[in-house]
Amino acid sequence: MSNGIPLAEARARYSPDADIGPLPDLADTDTLLNAYHPDHLRGSLVNLVVGANAGDSCQRELAELLQAEAFIDEADLAGTPVSDVDVLVIGGGGAGCAAALMAAEKGARVLLATKLRLGDSNTVMAEGGIQAAIEAGDSIQQHIQDTLRGGHHAGDPALVAAMAGDGPDVLRWLIRLGMQFEQTSGGDLHTRRAGGMSTARLTHCRDYTGLEMMRVLREAVIQHRSIEVWEQSPVVELLSNEHGQKCVGAVLTSLLDDRLRIVRTRSVILATGGLGRLHLNGFPTSNHLGATGDGLVLAYRLGARLREMDSFQYHPTGLLHPSHLAGKLVTEGVRAAGALLVNGVGRRFVDELLPRDMVCAAILRECAEGRGIRVDERHVGVWLDTPRLERAQPGLLEKQFPNLMSRTRVSCVDPRYTPLLVHPTLHYQNGGVVIDTNGATTVPGLYAVGEVAGGIHGRNRIMGNALLEIISFGRRAGIAATANRDRGPKKVTLEHVNRMRRALTLAGMPMSRRAPQVLPPYAAGGVWSR
Amino acid sequence: MHSAENDGEQHQSVKLTINGLPVSADTGMTLVEAAWQGGVPRVTSVGCMEGVCGSCRIMLRRGKQVTVGLACQTFAAEGIEAVFLPPASAPQHHYEIDDFKDGWDIHARFQDIFPEASRCRHCHGCDYACPKGIKVENGVAQAAAGRYRDAGETFFECVMCELCDVACPELIAPAHVGLFSRRITAHFHLRPPNLINRLEELRKERSGSSIIESDEE
Ligand SMILES: Cc1cc2nc3c(=O)[nH]c(=O)nc-3n(C[C@H](O)[C@H](O)[C@H](O)COP(=O)(O)OP(=O)(O)OC[C@H]3O[C@@H](n4cnc5c(N)ncnc54)[C@H](O)[C@@H]3O)c2cc1C
Ligand code: SF4
Ligand code: SF4
Repeated sequence: MSNGIPLAEARARYSPDADIGPLPDLADTDTLLNAYHPDHLRGSLVNLVVGANAGDSCQRELAELLQAEAFIDEADLAGTPVSDVDVLVIGGGGAGCAAALMAAEKGARVLLATKLRLGDSNTVMAEGGIQAAIEAGDSIQQHIQDTLRGGHHAGDPALVAAMAGDGPDVLRWLIRLGMQFEQTSGGDLHTRRAGGMSTARLTHCRDYTGLEMMRVLREAVIQHRSIEVWEQSPVVELLSNEHGQKCVGAVLTSLLDDRLRIVRTRSVILATGGLGRLHLNGFPTSNHLGATGDGLVLAYRLGARLREMDSFQYHPTGLLHPSHLAGKLVTEGVRAAGALLVNGVGRRFVDELLPRDMVCAAILRECAEGRGIRVDERHVGVWLDTPRLERAQPGLLEKQFPNLMSRTRVSCVDPRYTPLLVHPTLHYQNGGVVIDTNGATTVPGLYAVGEVAGGIHGRNRIMGNALLEIISFGRRAGIAATANRDRGPKKVTLEHVNRMRRALTLAGMPMSRRAPQVLPPYAAGGVWSR
Repeated sequence: MHSAENDGEQHQSVKLTINGLPVSADTGMTLVEAAWQGGVPRVTSVGCMEGVCGSCRIMLRRGKQVTVGLACQTFAAEGIEAVFLPPASAPQHHYEIDDFKDGWDIHARFQDIFPEASRCRHCHGCDYACPKGIKVENGVAQAAAGRYRDAGETFFECVMCELCDVACPELIAPAHVGLFSRRITAHFHLRPPNLINRLEELRKERSGSSIIESDEE
């Protein structure tokens, strides 16, 4: 792309008190989304051919993984050491920890296996906050409505009602575990209004909400007597009963020595998070290293239904520059606090607090139509006008966004004086595994919670609902999974893998690709020799 | 991962070693990017790449100076030697927050759980180790004096890398002292009226209707 205003020129032209013009009227939002949102890019969608969602539309790169061959076959199982537990939780982010804590509290012996270090997750990176309807002018009902509207009415109202209804109690539970929140001088929890909310509902711990949540959950899990934790232990396949109909365990490998292990259990809770590191449609991502969509692949192969596999959230304000932070997020909290978006010709072009998909599409439109700021051919963005915010509310950035300040400090950029160059970044998986209000999937014995699950955010998530969802449904699934007191598996098999292989062969699909991905190619050096 | 940019900043090409292997990189790259690009195998103690998850712990030698830090916050430079550290071992101090019944005896409980905290020898080892510039030693002193709210505030930006734990000759586990301080401050003292009022409203509504939610404890 050769259009756009060169960075140096845009920098020279920029001034924090220039007139940036009135807010232009937004043309029809559907037209904007259809023309510019990455979900609508030509060639980015295909129809799935095999599995529970055969015929449904799915993002192309994800479809390749969902319809790929497994890494594990029967020969691998012979002689592999076996552990037995009541509940296996896969994934050490917020959802997995909440599920493990609840299952343990209900008396289960829990094993939590996670790909990287416990707490390496999207959860720890969340900045902005967590929603809960606690202000006097707010209600659970309003929270439900905002969530459904934000998701373009594609969400499941029962799931949304469960999550919103849990909100206040989720905060109580987190505080009890030792999580701190920002307070007003009167001692109330401080709330903000962010994109897509009808009123202030976002509670937060400065701009380290996820870090504060994660370090508390991590400590609680590590300290818990009935939870065992295996780190650097990605799950590479699930196990089914002899009919391939029920989930009865998992096969894990180790990133340290590649050794396989089998875990046999009554219930498996998938909490593997999102898929930003698949870099769909070539986008940079805000996600942590382990976000490679493994849970979707594992669940789909075992027969679970998925939903909205063609809908992803691209966060409007990913950093474009400096390069080592490319794709990293500037929290929406900064826009909620009043920062505006300004294009290369010094004009405001969109209401910054519209739902994320629209703001994202509007930024991509500016870039495509030559009003972006060009770093080089491949990198064009717009300004996030933080100096103007600093002028209007001196000290605010330092006080409320220490995370942003310390991240940019390492690279000698000071957002109080220099506007940040931003571009949309692949941020969140809107859909996921179909679940009920207990987090149960369509496969018995298999639960899915957190970002890997779908149905709450419809086709667009509003800020602060992901952190709420992971605790709300993590707790629900932890309880439900423990209530399953059958005698446990008689036999653990790979019947579902065989079934998928037959279906792929029948459909004439290529079998060269294997999945789950586990690590992005650029980080997989030396790992996965098989 | 792209690195070269025509943004007016000059990135130079440099040679360094990571985990004992020679690597060439340029100065705009972090050590995580340099390790991956240089084909250093098994660099998987990496998480967020923006300095909040505390995973990518390294030991770093620049000339005669040896320090610890986070690889994603350290840029490639000529001649440096970096080694990714193994994961931290399991914590040695145990407590469950639900075991604390009230706040009046919390200081005695703290001393039972972290008996070493009062034996700090003020060696500053933890301060030197901390990649976040936290005044760790001071935070430990605050906790040892029962000032948990202040101690917790001192540790506000802690990313749980546990490098201070490794540095401490008295095995105080400052990272966990900090987290303990933060947790009990919330656990005992955070009682926000707006949240409490809403919880009370919801409780009344629920007891008014006959629906019993499945997650009611
Ligand atoms: C930068 C950023 C900012 C955000 N800000 C906010 C915000 O302000 N408010 C909000 O509500 N939401 C926010 N979100 C979204 C929210 O943080 C996530 O959706 C949520 O935390 C996901 O939690 P999770 O537990 O489902 O997944 P994660 O926290 O990502 O945890 C998944 C875990 O599973 C592990 N795993 C993955 N694959 C495997 C495998 N095969 N085997 C074993 N383990 C595996 C991973 O290593 C990881 O530990 C943000 C997200 C990002 C990336
Ligand atoms: S206080 Fe300790 S654990 Fe926390 S960031 Fe500093 S060195 Fe790491
Ligand atoms: S390293 Fe340990 S002994 Fe030394 S100052 Fe820090 S807490 Fe005290």
